[in-house]
Amino acid sequence: MALWEFSNYAFSLHQCHSFRKFSVNLITILFSSTTPIVIDNGASYFRIGWAGETDPRIIFRNIVQRPRHKTTGETVTIVGDHDPALLRYFDCTRSGPRSAFDSNVVYQFEIMEYILDFGFDRMGANESQIDHPVLITECVCNPVQSRSKMAELLFETYGVPSVAFGVDAAFSYKYNQQLGVCDKDGLAICPGFTTTHVIPFIDGEPVYKGCCRTNIGGFHVTDYMKQLLSLKYPYHMARFTWEKVEDLKMEHCYIAPDYTSEARLFQRGAKEAEDKSRCWQLPWIPPPTEEPPSEEEIARKAAIREKQGQRLREMAEAKRSSRINELENELRGLEFLSQQLAQVQENAVPSFLSETGYGSKQEIESARMKVTQSLRKAKGEPKSEQSENEKADPSTSEKFSLTNIPDDMLTPEQLIEKKKQLSLKSMSEGRQRSKQKRYEEELERERKQQLEEEKRLENPVLYLEQLHTRYKDLSEKVEQRKRLKTNGGHTNGNNLSGGVGRGERLNAAQRERMRLLTTAAFDRGKGEDTFGARDEDWQLYKLMSKDNDDDDEGPDEDEAELARIISRLQDLDQTFVHKTETVTVQTSEVPRVRPLTKEDFQIVLGVERFRCPEILFNPNWIGVDQVGLDEMAGVSIRRLPYRDQALDERLTSSILMTGGSSLFSGMSERLEAGIRMIRPCGSPIRIVKALDPVLDAWRGAAAFASTTQFQTQTFSKLDYDEKGEDWLRSYQLRYTL
Amino acid sequence: MEPDVVEAELVLPTHLSFKRIQMYEKYPKGQARNRHWKHLKQIIQAENYQNYPPDEPNYVNIESPPSMHPCKRICDITGFEAPYYDPRTNLRYANTDVFKIIRSLPNEYVQRYLATRNAQVVLR
Repeated sequence: MALWEFSNYAFSLHQCHSFRKFSVNLITILFSSTTPIVIDNGASYFRIGWAGETDPRIIFRNIVQRPRHKTTGETVTIVGDHDPALLRYFDCTRSGPRSAFDSNVVYQFEIMEYILDFGFDRMGANESQIDHPVLITECVCNPVQSRSKMAELLFETYGVPSVAFGVDAAFSYKYNQQLGVCDKDGLAICPGFTTTHVIPFIDGEPVYKGCCRTNIGGFHVTDYMKQLLSLKYPYHMARFTWEKVEDLKMEHCYIAPDYTSEARLFQRGAKEAEDKSRCWQLPWIPPPTEEPPSEEEIARKAAIREKQGQRLREMAEAKRSSRINELENELRGLEFLSQQLAQVQENAVPSFLSETGYGSKQEIESARMKVTQSLRKAKGEPKSEQSENEKADPSTSEKFSLTNIPDDMLTPEQLIEKKKQLSLKSMSEGRQRSKQKRYEEELERERKQQLEEEKRLENPVLYLEQLHTRYKDLSEKVEQRKRLKTNGGHTNGNNLSGGVGRGERLNAAQRERMRLLTTAAFDRGKGEDTFGARDEDWQLYKLMSKDNDDDDEGPDEDEAELARIISRLQDLDQTFVHKTETVTVQTSEVPRVRPLTKEDFQIVLGVERFRCPEILFNPNWIGVDQVGLDEMAGVSIRRLPYRDQALDERLTSSILMTGGSSLFSGMSERLEAGIRMIRPCGSPIRIVKALDPVLDAWRGAAAFASTTQFQTQTFSKLDYDEKGEDWLRSYQLRYTL
Repeated sequence: MEPDVVEAELVLPTHLSFKRIQMYEKYPKGQARNRHWKHLKQIIQAENYQNYPPDEPNYVNIESPPSMHPCKRICDITGFEAPYYDPRTNLRYANTDVFKIIRSLPNEYVQRYLATRNAQVVLR
């Protein structure tokens, strides 16, 4: 596949600027007021110049834009194509480029006026009016409304003395006939911008009776290509601007000698097809590849991390030491206080205490205890339970001294004290018991582990296998439980959204509750209400209540077991990966993460290269139910009012292709094959391409206008006003002078 | 106006000496936004071609007739020869691979493909 670097859309038509100052003098010196101005007013390009010259002075795209200036806000008129860099000062979003044409007929004379303004201005017109006859092209059988409006515009606004209208294809044919390319009898096939014409010429004059028009042209080819490409590459749709696709078309499109076989070539993926494909690489910057960090980098990062950790540790250490200091101070203060309190006499105690802020001796004592404890904690000494217990043990009897004394031997205060002691005792006993239990569990677990270790050592492979099967069973079980719980809600991930609203978002328990509530709400009026007669009825409320959710149950036994097995497996088997996590990760991540490659930014033109221009031969591919180029020739010949075999043969032996869309390579071969099919066997067929299919129309018109007899073909404002529209309808230029 | 815009003479001057009637005189309120120009269809209708002899060539009767050849059918997606037609989407297709693509296309794209040959569903 050939890789093409497409050049940026180049603006070919900047010559208009350079001519201006130069021609200001010319208009007065070289060109007298009798020199006609020749305009080829095509739907795509506007060409204007002086009669008798070989090339038009100015060519520009026949479009007008009226954007708003961004800073001043005034609406300006810009005619033709310009460097898009200059348009950045204007807000072009509101109005796109507009054309004066509907199909191939001028209908928007306001736009036409802007275009003529620009054309005449660039020609260097600087007098009070355009004092030159004007020859302007129009389409075949232009509606008289359009023709008269154009004449009016030229007469009234520009003061043109006289006007002539002619057909571009006819001028092109005549020009090529004069240069000996084609004969005086022949066919002009003119695929243009919006329409395609075939005009038969007899004795050097066009016979419009025999002409035919199909409403298809280069515009449709480009538009079709634009649509196909943007459908094929929706991500790059913004790339396919009209201008860009037009460029692509001109550079790469060709007409296949036989569409079907050419397409089959591509369908098979043959080597030739590969060669014929064109590839347009859009600008693409590879995403920065994440190189594995170098050794130094890792070391540097580790050092930084280490430093930060060090700092944090230091900070924590400083904080701890300051807190220890604080607590020690407090403790010392409290100890001092209690010492002093011991020295203070009994009756002076309250007054002494009121100064310190403590209520009683016990309070000081408890504060001291608290401080000691937090100090111990701050110093990182484990408050060893053993020691506490040991400490507690001897004191138990003393602490709970009242518990063993019968109630009737105690005073009321002592009774209260006894109750307190009883509760305290039961609490401490409970604690003891649970500790015992934990200890036993620990022992049990160790024993199990030992057992398993023995099993493993006995037969490691078997053990691993068993572990795996157990893992599988358990994980399935847990998975199923989870599924049941969420019941489908798992897949759409809506569990977090609160679960109100549609039934699917609720888990099984919530749904059951909903069901109960609704049945309770609607279960009315069916006979006698016996609810509450049986005790089971009241269970309903329990089921309905929100607390019924077992969400906060925490990891149950299976899950705990599963976690244990997973950790065990991970220890023993390096290849083991916990499945559920990885699977979900893979499915959700893969399609999103695929990085865009260079290939994603390539526009491949394969079948499109010949599919798009093929619509000139098969207009019904884009929904235009008319004959294509090759058949048009036959239609045109058949339409001629008088004909014989000799004339037919003369016509087909001088077929001229002109117009912009005849520039596709392979056009003449294909046309010849097509026309040979519809003509009788053995008829002579000669197809020639115009010398310059694009500019010959203007050249022919310029040559025509420079002849002395041209004046006889024009009409003035006076003529127009006198003879009226009806005359204008039948106005027809004679091309042979 | 920026200097490079002025240099390029990008903007059409509002006053041109060679014009008898200036644009601003014709359209004193600026460009009339909804000024109606007859479209081609309306122009043709106003021409009243039916009042003229049918053998006189005019804009309408020079149009080409529909083709006499059987229509070549091509795959809407790939452009290959299309022997098949999908009744659900109305798209023509070349082979099973394209059929798979067609069936996975969102309706918007189906309509855009149909629109290329002017066969899309038009809601009126």
